[in-house]
Amino acid sequence: MAPIRDKYTIHSKAVVCQDVELKGDITIGSGTIVHPKATIFAIAGPIVIGSGCIIEEGAIIVNRRKEVMRIGDDNLFEIGCRVECPTVGDFNTISTRARVHHTVRMASFCVIGAGCLVVPTDDEFLDDYTVIYGPAAERRTWSGRGKVQEADLRRKHAEYLREMLPKFNRLRRGEGS
Amino acid sequence: MPPTVDYHCPCLSRSALPPPPHLPSSSFNFHALNELFFCEECDAVRCNRCVSVEVSGYYCPNCLFEVPSASVRAEKNRCARNCFMCPDCRNTLSVVPSDPPDPGDGRMAIPISTIGEPPFFLYCNHCRWDSAEVGITFEKPTGLAAQLQKFEDSAPDSLEFERLKEHFEPVIRASSLSSSTTTAPAAHPSSAAHSHRVRTNSITAAASAALARDIPGVGKHNPLARSGNRAGAGGNKDKTANQDEMPEYRSRVDVTSASKLGSGGGEIDVEYMRHLENVGEVASLEQRWMNSWATPLQAAELKPLRIPLHSKRSKRCPVCAHILIKPEQKAQSVRYKIKLVASNYLPAITAALPHQQDAVGDSSKRTLSKSTAAAAVAAEEERSAAGIHAGKTYPFHLALTNMLYDPIQVRLTVQRVHAPAALPPSSGRASPDKAPTTRRPPFAVSLPSSSFPIAAFAEAWEYEDDEDDDMFGLDDDDEFGIAGRVAGRDKDARGAGKVKMVGVLEKKANVTVVGGEVVIGKEARGNVKFNMLVSYTYRSDDPAPSESNDADGPPSRAAVANKPPEIKTFAFYTVVDLGPIIPREESR
Repeated sequence: MAPIRDKYTIHSKAVVCQDVELKGDITIGSGTIVHPKATIFAIAGPIVIGSGCIIEEGAIIVNRRKEVMRIGDDNLFEIGCRVECPTVGDFNTISTRARVHHTVRMASFCVIGAGCLVVPTDDEFLDDYTVIYGPAAERRTWSGRGKVQEADLRRKHAEYLREMLPKFNRLRRGEGS
Repeated sequence: MPPTVDYHCPCLSRSALPPPPHLPSSSFNFHALNELFFCEECDAVRCNRCVSVEVSGYYCPNCLFEVPSASVRAEKNRCARNCFMCPDCRNTLSVVPSDPPDPGDGRMAIPISTIGEPPFFLYCNHCRWDSAEVGITFEKPTGLAAQLQKFEDSAPDSLEFERLKEHFEPVIRASSLSSSTTTAPAAHPSSAAHSHRVRTNSITAAASAALARDIPGVGKHNPLARSGNRAGAGGNKDKTANQDEMPEYRSRVDVTSASKLGSGGGEIDVEYMRHLENVGEVASLEQRWMNSWATPLQAAELKPLRIPLHSKRSKRCPVCAHILIKPEQKAQSVRYKIKLVASNYLPAITAALPHQQDAVGDSSKRTLSKSTAAAAVAAEEERSAAGIHAGKTYPFHLALTNMLYDPIQVRLTVQRVHAPAALPPSSGRASPDKAPTTRRPPFAVSLPSSSFPIAAFAEAWEYEDDEDDDMFGLDDDDEFGIAGRVAGRDKDARGAGKVKMVGVLEKKANVTVVGGEVVIGKEARGNVKFNMLVSYTYRSDDPAPSESNDADGPPSRAAVANKPPEIKTFAFYTVVDLGPIIPREESR
C-alpha cells in the first residue's frame, strides 16, 4: 500500500485546532470549524469539506474509498460520530455517537439522531429531509418547516465558535507538510 | 455471576421462617436490601409488596408544576399548561414560530424578530415531527391549553361523554336523594350486602335504591336476573337494572358511522389496510394507546397529547400505619422528608468468593495481551476456573457493614433444610409425599457460630488509626477501643499461622469480613443457595455510658431484653446465593 501523503489545504478563514488528527489529502473550506480531538482520515482517497461545517470533538471522518469524499456546507458533526459516506450534502446534522456507513449517500437537510446506526448492507441514498431517530433507527421525513431558523442557528453557532475557539486552543495554520 | 445476598421479608405471613431456597417459588419473598423499608414501631422489615401506598402529590414531569389534586380530576390527569407529547416518539414538544416568509430571490431568509412569526406550532426536536402536519397551529406562543380547548371540546368523543353525563344526571340525583332518606331494609339481602357502600358510589346508590323498591312487586326482580350475565359480579353497578326507571339512551352518533372517526374497525379500515404501502404508515399499538379516546389507524393522523401527570407516593407500614417514606412537596426535589429504609438499620451483607476474584484478576491480565481468538478461549477457561465445581470445597467471604451509630454483635446461623436422610439428590421428584423438601441439600456450609462485634458507623475521619497495624487500643476507648483490641488480636492470630478460613477475617472501620466454607457434594447440581439467619443485638437510644464490653447479656432470639441498658435484638433471614455449580462431568 502506498504511504499516505499528507496534503492539507486549509482555507485561511477556517479554524482548525492543533490537536486534530489529519491524515491524507484533506481540503477544508472557508469558515469550517474543527474542534480539538477530531479525526479526519483520508486513507484511500481525498476528503473535501465545504464551508461552514462544524466538526466537534471525537468525530471521525474516514474515507476508505479511492474516490473523493465530498462533504457539503454547513453540516454539523456532533461529538463521537463516525461518518464514512462518500457524499454528504448541506445542512445535515449527524448527532452524537451516530454511525453512518460507507454504503450510504446523504443528501441535504438530513438529521441522523443520537446514537443511531445507519449501517445498511446495500447501497442506500437518503433523500433530502430524512430524519433517522430512535434506538431502532426509525425513519421519517421532515416537512422542512423550521429549516430557516435552524440554518440561522447553525450560522450563529459557527460564528460563536470562530470567535471563542482561538482564544482557548492553539490553531493549526496554513498548509501542512 | 457474582454471589448475591437477598433479604427476607415475611410480608405479614404467619410463620417467620422463609421458604427453603431451592424451591423456585421462594425468590418472591427475598429482596435486595435497597428495596426494603424498616418500620421502627413494629421493628419489622417491610417490602414494596406489603406497604400501603398513597399518593402524596401530582406533578407534570415536563414543567414540574405541582398540580393540586382538585384540578387533577378536572384536567383528566394531564398537564393543563403548555406541555405536549409527540405522538411519534413520545418526546416533549416545544413551541416554535414558523419560518419568516421567503424573500423570493432564492437565498435563505434571515429571521429578524426574536419572538418569531405566527403561526406557532409544536415541534419535536427528536424526530422533527410538527403539529402543522395534523393542522394544529397557534396564534400566540403561550396559553396553548386555552387555545386547544376549543378543539378538544368539539371532539366527537368528548361530546359523547357530555351527553352520557347529562343523561345520567337526573337519575343519580334522584337516587341519591332517595337513598339518603330511606333506611336500608334489613330483610333484603342485596341491599344489606352493599348498604355500607351506599355512599361511596352514586351509581351503586342508584342501583341499591332501585333494588330496595323491589319488595312490593316480585316481578321487578327479573331485570336483574336478565341482566345478570351482562354484568356478572358487578351487578350493583349495572345501570340496566334501572331499566324501568330510566329513559333509554341514544348515542349522539350512530355506531356504524362512528367507526369512521376512530379506528372502530369495519370496512373502512380494511380498505385502508389493503392499500397499505409502508408499515410505518400505520400507528403502532404504543402510539395508539397513549391516546385514550379516538385512536386513528394511520400514523399521519396522530394528534399531539398533553403530557400525563406523574404522582409522588408515600408509603406506610400496613400494621401500624407509620409513614415509612414521605417525599418532599416540591416536584423538582428528589429527597424525602421521612426515609425509613432498611439499609439504615440492617447490616449490609455482601458475599464474595475469593477464588473467583483471583480468577477474574488473572484472566483479565491474560486477555489484555492476547488476540481475540485466544481471548475467547481464555474467557472459557476463566469461567470454569471461577465457577464452583462439584466435589470441591470453597471458602467464601461475607462482608457485613454496620449502619447504626452503635456497635452491634452479630450471630450468623445457617438454616437447616428439613430433608429425609439417605435420599440421593438426583431423585428429587421421586417422593413428593415426604417432608416439605425431598432433596438433601447437596452442599454443606460452615460459618462461625460465635457472635462477633461490628463497630459503629461514624464519619470517615474518625477511623484514622484502623489501617495502622501497630497502634491498637491507643485511641479513644469508648467504642473503637474494642474494635481496635479485637482487631489487634485478630491480626496476631492471622500472622501466627495459616490463614484461617472460617471465622472473623478482618475488621475495618464498620465492616467485618467473615469467612465460611462450603463443601459441595459430588453429585450436586443447581445453585448454591442457603438461608441464613442473622441476629444482632444493639443498644438502643441509651446515652448512659455503660460497660464497654459488648458481650454483656446473652443475645436472645425471642424478645427484647428488659435491662436498663436497653439491649435490643433483631433477627432477619437472608438467602445467600453463591452461584451455579458446574457439574462434575463437564469439568473432567
